[in-house]
Amino acid sequence: MLEVRNGGFETTVQDYPGRIGMLSLGFAPAGPMDDYAFRFANVLVGNLPGTAGLEITAGGLVIAFQDERAIAVCGADMGARLNGQPLELWRSYLVRAGDLLEFDYLQGPGFRTYLAVSGGIDVPPVLGSRATYLPGAIGGFEGRKLQAGDRLPLGEPMTDPAQAAGRRVPASLIPSYSGYNEVWEVEATRGPQADPDYMTAEDMAFFFSHHWKLDAASNRTGYRLDIHKWQWARESGGAGGGHPSNILDNGYPVGAVNVCGDQPIILCIDGPTLGGFICNAVVAKAAMWKLGQMVPGWSYIRFKEVTLEEAITLLKQQDETIHESNLERS
Amino acid sequence: MTEHVTQPSGVILARFPERNGRPGVVYRNAGDSFLLVEFGEMVFDLTMSFRVLGLDDVIKRNRPAGLIETIPALRSILINYDCRQISVRDLIDFVEDQYEHLPPFENLVVPSRIVELPIAFDDKWTREAIARYVQYQRADAPNIIDGTNSKYAAMYNGLRDEEEFFRYIMATDWWNAALGFFPGLPFAYPLDPRYAVVLPKYNPTRHWTPAGTVGIAGPCLAIYPVESAGGYQIFGHTVPIYDPLQRNPAFRESPVLLRPGDRLRFRPRVTDDELEALIQAVYDGTYQYVIDETATFDVGAYLRFLQEVDPEAKAFRQRQAEAAARVPVP
Repeated sequence: MLEVRNGGFETTVQDYPGRIGMLSLGFAPAGPMDDYAFRFANVLVGNLPGTAGLEITAGGLVIAFQDERAIAVCGADMGARLNGQPLELWRSYLVRAGDLLEFDYLQGPGFRTYLAVSGGIDVPPVLGSRATYLPGAIGGFEGRKLQAGDRLPLGEPMTDPAQAAGRRVPASLIPSYSGYNEVWEVEATRGPQADPDYMTAEDMAFFFSHHWKLDAASNRTGYRLDIHKWQWARESGGAGGGHPSNILDNGYPVGAVNVCGDQPIILCIDGPTLGGFICNAVVAKAAMWKLGQMVPGWSYIRFKEVTLEEAITLLKQQDETIHESNLERS
Repeated sequence: MTEHVTQPSGVILARFPERNGRPGVVYRNAGDSFLLVEFGEMVFDLTMSFRVLGLDDVIKRNRPAGLIETIPALRSILINYDCRQISVRDLIDFVEDQYEHLPPFENLVVPSRIVELPIAFDDKWTREAIARYVQYQRADAPNIIDGTNSKYAAMYNGLRDEEEFFRYIMATDWWNAALGFFPGLPFAYPLDPRYAVVLPKYNPTRHWTPAGTVGIAGPCLAIYPVESAGGYQIFGHTVPIYDPLQRNPAFRESPVLLRPGDRLRFRPRVTDDELEALIQAVYDGTYQYVIDETATFDVGAYLRFLQEVDPEAKAFRQRQAEAAARVPVP
């Protein structure tokens, strides 16, 4: 059992890859915004990489443990302390009943951090997943973010917690996060409605070179970027509507860049599944984690075009990287 | 016969012309986890939905390893796949093969439930959403007259008054071509073209719409399953179509009431107080949704019906076009 003393800014139970196979009913997959840090945290404590853990956004979480477990915190530095002692990120620890884990707020670059506990968070799966999907108020702990007083059940650890503790991710595999006002390079392929049918080649060249500012009004459903006057390849949206960004509604890929009128919005893992605006690019699955560490209102994004083949290679490399055999004993 | 195309931009992966009366198909790159399959031209043609749902059905029944799910829409299917298990080329060949062997759609008889939903028109919830929009977002919106959208809707479609508009909503069945955007949100189109009203969208979009609101934009009717932003003209309220807590037997299998291929029928018309009692009964578990589970839809018979009513439908479209030309858009 985990006892929540303070839920912090926004802490949710997530699993990976989330609620799969429900897009056609309007459910986005949910899951961790930064699946790289999330999966590595699980591997560190001896869990399968997708096991349910906590996504801590911006910080403020305080929890008490009631069992002996291996834990790991991966992601942004929120000055985590275990019984008052600083806790290193990307490293596994042993905790005992009565231990207190406290997160402060962001200490540097990055926006989210992940807590994995050996055995995982054992909330009941809803529609096949333990991931919290906030827009649908479903999954995780009562379909909502955590608050003081919540008690989260834990699953049975697959490995001895004492064995799983004391390991770390080698420095070469810990990503460095771009700081405030700095640019994140995000790999993306062209999307289903790019040039030449919907946008001009110039529009796409601008898209792949501009440093897009991430709007403060961004969250797990969507990342809003700056307004831009596109040239457009069409005069209007035809049967889809008056504006050339309109189309007859179709399914939206997770991670698509959805251009609504003049504004591009990256559809994140809680985002809309279907709609009537064009998608001119799709973030590579292997690059989705970067969105999780950007800071709304501060970060900039440059989309780096990759081919479909390159995106697949990146994904395979990432799967190989997030593996127990790459851990070190500390 | 597979005919792969590579555009300089790499967006179109394959393109097939119309064959034996079957609409052409375009396969569009949608990132490393999605493939967009588009049929015919971008025109509003409801009969395309029957083909799409027919094909979607056989794709699901014969799904190859690596095909995760399909997201059908009016004239497209978005396929979610695992690029580590199946290549996009093999996926395209698979879909083409299924499309090739799809029976002529005039002979299709597809399962299509009939779902009856009570409706209150210009109800207190809708009025509240519109009042907030006027107060906080736009006071001079031409689509708001006397605190409603229904008077505008009547004018825009050349109808006498809002009462005639409401009768039109109740006079036709609504074909649910797709679910999405939010969990369980139907994208429903009028099956009887004599009552096919059309409306422009809000500008700017509303920040708040209560769950249960019924609205229309373009030819498409939507029911808002959760409290959310929205762009449709709104004029009615119905019982819940989404319940994450699954409090009524209708939600026992899934928190989503509707499915693609359902027909929605609005009846009976109720007052605000009556509807409030019905909503309470839904959550008490005592309300019984009126759903014909075994109904089927005969595409051939429907096509004959379209021919029969074509003169009346044309006359209505003419009247609509003349009216719309005299009415300002938001």
